[in-house]
Amino acid sequence: MAQIVETSAFTPDLPRTGFFAALRDDVAEMLGEQVQYRELLLQMCVRDLRVRYKQSVMGFGWAIFMPLINTIVFSLVFARVAKIQTSIPYPLFAYCGLAAWNFFASSLRFSVISLTTNSQLVTKVYFPREIFPFASVLVSLVDFAVSSVVLLGMMAYYRVPLTSAVWFLPIVVIVQIAFTSGMSLLLAAGNLYYRDVKYLFEVIIVVWMFATSVIYPINLIDGRLHLLMRLNPMTPIIDAYRSVLLRGELPSAPSFAAATVMSFVVLAVAWTVFHRAEFTFAETI
Amino acid sequence: MAEGTIVFDRVWKKFRRGERHKSLRDLLPALVSRTVRRGPALGDEEFWALRNVSFEVRPGEALGIIGANGAGKSTALKLLSKIFRTTAGRYMVKGRVGSLIEVAAGFHPDLTGRENVYLQGAILGMKRTEIARAFDQIVEFAGAGDFVDTPVKRYSSGMNARLGFSIAAHLNPDVLLIDEILAVGDMAFQERCFDRLQLFRQSGAAIAFVSHNLKAISSLCDRVLVLSRGEVHAYGPTDEAIAAYAELLRRDGGTTTGIGESRVEVLDGTGRATQRIAAGSRMTVRAVVAPPRGDAALVCAMRIRRLDSGEAVFFTTSSSVGCPPVAVEPPMAVEVVWDLEANLARGHYAIELIFRNRNAAYGREALMRLNPAALFEINETQTEQGVVYLNPRCRATALDGAVEAVS
Repeated sequence: MAQIVETSAFTPDLPRTGFFAALRDDVAEMLGEQVQYRELLLQMCVRDLRVRYKQSVMGFGWAIFMPLINTIVFSLVFARVAKIQTSIPYPLFAYCGLAAWNFFASSLRFSVISLTTNSQLVTKVYFPREIFPFASVLVSLVDFAVSSVVLLGMMAYYRVPLTSAVWFLPIVVIVQIAFTSGMSLLLAAGNLYYRDVKYLFEVIIVVWMFATSVIYPINLIDGRLHLLMRLNPMTPIIDAYRSVLLRGELPSAPSFAAATVMSFVVLAVAWTVFHRAEFTFAETI
Repeated sequence: MAEGTIVFDRVWKKFRRGERHKSLRDLLPALVSRTVRRGPALGDEEFWALRNVSFEVRPGEALGIIGANGAGKSTALKLLSKIFRTTAGRYMVKGRVGSLIEVAAGFHPDLTGRENVYLQGAILGMKRTEIARAFDQIVEFAGAGDFVDTPVKRYSSGMNARLGFSIAAHLNPDVLLIDEILAVGDMAFQERCFDRLQLFRQSGAAIAFVSHNLKAISSLCDRVLVLSRGEVHAYGPTDEAIAAYAELLRRDGGTTTGIGESRVEVLDGTGRATQRIAAGSRMTVRAVVAPPRGDAALVCAMRIRRLDSGEAVFFTTSSSVGCPPVAVEPPMAVEVVWDLEANLARGHYAIELIFRNRNAAYGREALMRLNPAALFEINETQTEQGVVYLNPRCRATALDGAVEAVS
């Protein structure tokens, strides 16, 4: 007769460790998995890029077209109707802000649904789930790179020279990637638990754009509101792009440093939370 | 040489019925620290998907996991592939894991076969160079040569699954987790998959194989784990475990309907009640049943199935062997005695009995069904393959002359 395994007394076997030991293990696992699955991150990114432009005629043209149209519209509104004074030509000011903002906003827009639209994979195959939001950020980064070609063209047209300050550009991009990735992780996980997040996000991203110096300089707004808006790391980040590219100077130290610290704190907290919630994803989705 | 090992040590896993959306309260503590332990107690709306399940698969071994739907088979595999985390207990998977749970899960319909091979390969953990090296074999194995550059959305579902399996089959894993994937593709492809699995096993991979196809289980697996409602019902050598599974099915009712009281026994040639019958010998199946209602003229049909494949090897009715219908009125019981010659190949068999009422308006109404009514095992060593026992004899002698010289 087959062996009938007897039910023995219940003995939990999960090791109990301290908070910091567990945190250290988590961080090692989080980074180790990203190294191990680096090829998958690339493949996912390639997949998303291919799929996005598979049945579209314009392809990558959309990455240029969207901020360009917005720039024209806002140029008409702010240069002719509202008459804003900017130290640099307004179309340059707006396009630079919109390109960087689109990188942020579209990363989040893809991230927020990235887990729920890939539920087949989440419930069937194991790999670090961070890949989904990270791939969304990477795909938007490619769009950002494409759209910045137009910015270079506009700079040539307005005779704005590149200075040595441009060497600071990679740091600005890295800070934005850090902040964007952190937000992406939070939104992706949030939407997996509560589908409301997706709708809430659409509202907030619009308000957020007008609270950031994307299409007008934020110093136009005074008082307490101004202080509140300075807490938003996206404003120093976008201003930093304008500083290093258009004004040929380094970004204003205190505010950019604060934004840098905040971005990495957001990324660290978001990633840890995401990683710890990850094992419930397949059961919850 | 692959060296895969799977150990599952007293694993418990609980799930929640229904939606989890109200449970933010439960989620937050888990986020604060992973060390928070959920105890063995079940909360509201929770149930055990696995209860204290242990098993082991050593290199070169294949373990079959069988059980009714919802018994916890897939949950066990999903724990092993890290999709779920255990509530309590430990498990270990040593070696590179190939998970054939949903072979085409990573496919994107808009991408071509070629693009999807690279994508799915990466999802399964293959390096780009590995995929490139195996690419031609993958496509050839799947028989998708002409369609590599066609979007997968234009594929037939069979081809989709074939390509998916083919990618996974070229992963060269040490540990292989398979969930009912042999159900895809045509017979020829299934056979090729099967050969591939045998090859893996011979090269030292540890295989955990979930399937409802007992024939596939019994030809691939060394041992079988039978799960029932999340618990281990039996765990042991394949044919014993399969027999235990059949017994479980019988005890859980199978599809027995309309029966009040019944007693069924299998007797060997000497009239002794047993479940082991020698091939080619006489056997008797004796059933005593109480019909549910009167005005019945009963005929009895008997079907014998192989347990491993489910294949019906024999079916007959009492009327076709010349036994007239029996008229019964409750509380009378009826006894049916089948006398048979057990010309069956070795293996486990189940007997199904169906009683029909000749007097019923619909003529062939099944009054009662016992499935399985009884189980038995045939012992013999002469049949290499096949389902019947033909009592073979063989004689070979050397002749003096050439073929033409022999009249």
